[in-house]
Amino acid sequence: MTGGNCSDNRRKGVGSDHDADDTEIHPSRWWMPLFSLFLGGLILAAMWIGGNPRDGLWGFALLAGVGALLLFGTRSETLQGLGGPGRDERWAMIDIHATALTGLVVLVVLIGAWLWELAHGRDGGPYGQIMAVAGLAYIVSVVFLRWRS
Amino acid sequence: MKNEIRELRTARGLSQEDLAKKMDVSRQTINSIEKERYTPSLPLALTLARFFAKPVEEIFDAKGE
Repeated sequence: MTGGNCSDNRRKGVGSDHDADDTEIHPSRWWMPLFSLFLGGLILAAMWIGGNPRDGLWGFALLAGVGALLLFGTRSETLQGLGGPGRDERWAMIDIHATALTGLVVLVVLIGAWLWELAHGRDGGPYGQIMAVAGLAYIVSVVFLRWRS
Repeated sequence: MKNEIRELRTARGLSQEDLAKKMDVSRQTINSIEKERYTPSLPLALTLARFFAKPVEEIFDAKGE
């Protein structure tokens, strides 16, 4: 079908057209900006309750700025990709690799902090517990994804 | 993965943007495929092969990776 139009084939996310909906995490361009705003609101509320509304407002302003950047930064492919809409299979792959890399960095920091705590005669908390949750989450994810594939 | 996408696209007078729209991916994805930095998924490779009316193994060369 040379010259044919294939635009009906939605190729969002890794995998076939069949499972495109399974990998579509951000269905709207408003999703991530609104999530940023929501997170900023939670930070503001938590800090307000904790008696520090000034820092809470700074946190809210920062996340509102991030939300605005994601919403209006349409000329940058990176901002578009971070914002959600317009992602295709390449972006899904970038997202998976970036998530894995982030997990690796967090894990290295957690192990370092845990060892630091142990070396100073403390029980290693809360880093040990966080690593236990992470390890369990990884095993459950592997079992689930293996069962699903 | 080595591929003939750029040659096939330019032979048809299409821009990267045109091909991206037809494949329902971003222009940057077509650019990455042409520069052999990104290997497309099997569905996208098959759709590209169908679009250019060529067997997929004539467009993509896994041994040339």
